[in-house]
Amino acid sequence: MSGKGVQPGWRQSMAWAHGWLGLIAGWILFTMFLTGTSAYFRPEITRWMQPEIRTQAAPPAQAADSAVRYLSRVGPDDLQWYIYLPDARTVATRIFRIPAKPDPKTRGNELDLDPVSGAPLAARDTRGGEHFYRFHFQLQLPHPWGRWLAGLCAMAMLGAIISGVITHKRIFADFFTLRWNKGQRSWLDAHNVSAVLGLPYHAMITYTGLITLVTMYMPWPVMMNYAKPAQFMQTAYGTPADVPASGVRRPLVAIAPLVRDAERRLGGPATRVIIQNPGDAAARITIAQAKRGAINSRTPTATYDGATGRLVSRSGDAAAAIDTAGVMLGLHIAGFAGPALRWAYFVMGLTGAAMVGTGLLLWTAKRRKPGAPPFFGLKLAERLNIVVIAAFPAGMAAYLLANRLIPATLDGRADMEVSAMFWTWGLLALAQLGLPARRAWTMLFGIAAAFWAAIPMVNALTTSRWLVPSLLDGDQLFVAFDLSCLAIGIGFAIAARISARPAPKTPGRSRRSMEPAHA
Amino acid sequence: MAWRWITAILGCYGFAVTAAMLTARLLPARDAMARVEATGWPMVLSFLLYAVVGLWSLHEVRLGRVSAVIWGGAIAMAVLLKLLGVRA
Repeated sequence: MSGKGVQPGWRQSMAWAHGWLGLIAGWILFTMFLTGTSAYFRPEITRWMQPEIRTQAAPPAQAADSAVRYLSRVGPDDLQWYIYLPDARTVATRIFRIPAKPDPKTRGNELDLDPVSGAPLAARDTRGGEHFYRFHFQLQLPHPWGRWLAGLCAMAMLGAIISGVITHKRIFADFFTLRWNKGQRSWLDAHNVSAVLGLPYHAMITYTGLITLVTMYMPWPVMMNYAKPAQFMQTAYGTPADVPASGVRRPLVAIAPLVRDAERRLGGPATRVIIQNPGDAAARITIAQAKRGAINSRTPTATYDGATGRLVSRSGDAAAAIDTAGVMLGLHIAGFAGPALRWAYFVMGLTGAAMVGTGLLLWTAKRRKPGAPPFFGLKLAERLNIVVIAAFPAGMAAYLLANRLIPATLDGRADMEVSAMFWTWGLLALAQLGLPARRAWTMLFGIAAAFWAAIPMVNALTTSRWLVPSLLDGDQLFVAFDLSCLAIGIGFAIAARISARPAPKTPGRSRRSMEPAHA
Repeated sequence: MAWRWITAILGCYGFAVTAAMLTARLLPARDAMARVEATGWPMVLSFLLYAVVGLWSLHEVRLGRVSAVIWGGAIAMAVLLKLLGVRA
């Protein structure tokens, strides 16, 4: 491990590995935990960020029909259409086109439609909850580097979890130990409690997170069993083979009866329609079923001939390994979870952030010596802790505030919202360098508190969907959003108050604090 | 210390990759579904192996032994994979 000499015991070497793995990956992991936790409410955040959208619910067949009517008008020669149908959590039909000749000026060809009329919805341009979700595994870096870095951090997290468990002598006792205002001991206890409390969740979310991108991180076994990787995808997932366009024009069959037929065959409401070569004699329509309440995120599909409406294929039973990966993916994204379980996931996600955050604070607390000037590494770690733990959440709040403060019709506003988050984060990171660390903690926690608490206020000043009308309308989403922001703001205010207190005296080293918990 | 971390991160990834590929190639695959199983399970479980060998490479004090097992093992499995070739 750390040098030549006698082989240390597993507990000692794992304490060393745990400390360094946690420190090096911890800053990125903290941001991944916060954004990933918020992504449990991705559709709800998007709905809050587009307050103009108030549409009537429509059954999947009607939404698919209205979307195909719109797409046939605007993109009859497109290569492919993706139609994401509304459900209990999303009110709009989302479409995505792949045109034969892409327009470089148009970003993504993605649009929200009214599920009843099929008309484009007039709402402010925003990335919505998708931004936090994408940051969670792409870290706002160019493809594929963000995903690789996120994967590396997830591996470090897995290593830190295993080594952390090996390190602990008495994992059960740690669950009940929390000593307040004892400096380093308090951070150790807080780290142990948050880690042990959520251990099954932390282990599950880390491993399943790696599985979400398994085909990117570990595609190599496919190469030994298949000459062409597409063969594996077709056999494993029942993906129909791509059919080239024939060049003969033929109108698309009515979509609504096909959606109803697929729902009957697959045994649940349709969630997604993919149309290849629309308007061509070789058109293919694939309809996926939403498996309500099932953990497995793999959605069964039925594929039809788009010119005749004949059933071409239907995905069958998957291999156990593929089902296992589907269940792991489902456990990670929690699409199966109802509101109560989703809130439980949210709380557990926060314990994950708390575990990483307290671990980072413990690393610095353990190395700070009374009366001795801090060495460079300690100062750097302390400043990065402030930047990540206090300034990043303020940046997240700035993203939500920018949604309400940037004019709704301004061109390029979606990118401006994202910029607002990173500019706020960056400026606060620089500003804190001008203050002593202790005051910097207080100031940044205070700013984060003010930003989060300001969200319901700014919402009230800029929209008609603020707390009181939302309460009167029974609009649970907008009520919950405002109250959650207020609660987060209060949490940061408490953190600011605690950090403003004088530092507790470092206790003498007891037998317990001598344990190799985090070397 | 730098070599130990390079071995823990890159070497152990290479070890996990070649071990997963070798397992996928050697598991029986009599029909199309069994071939998916033989491919899918090593993919799903490879991260656990990566974590375990990564932690062992940080635990074992003899760096020469760590290098021999991790880099040597990965190279040996890669050679074996080359000899076996893609499953027909």
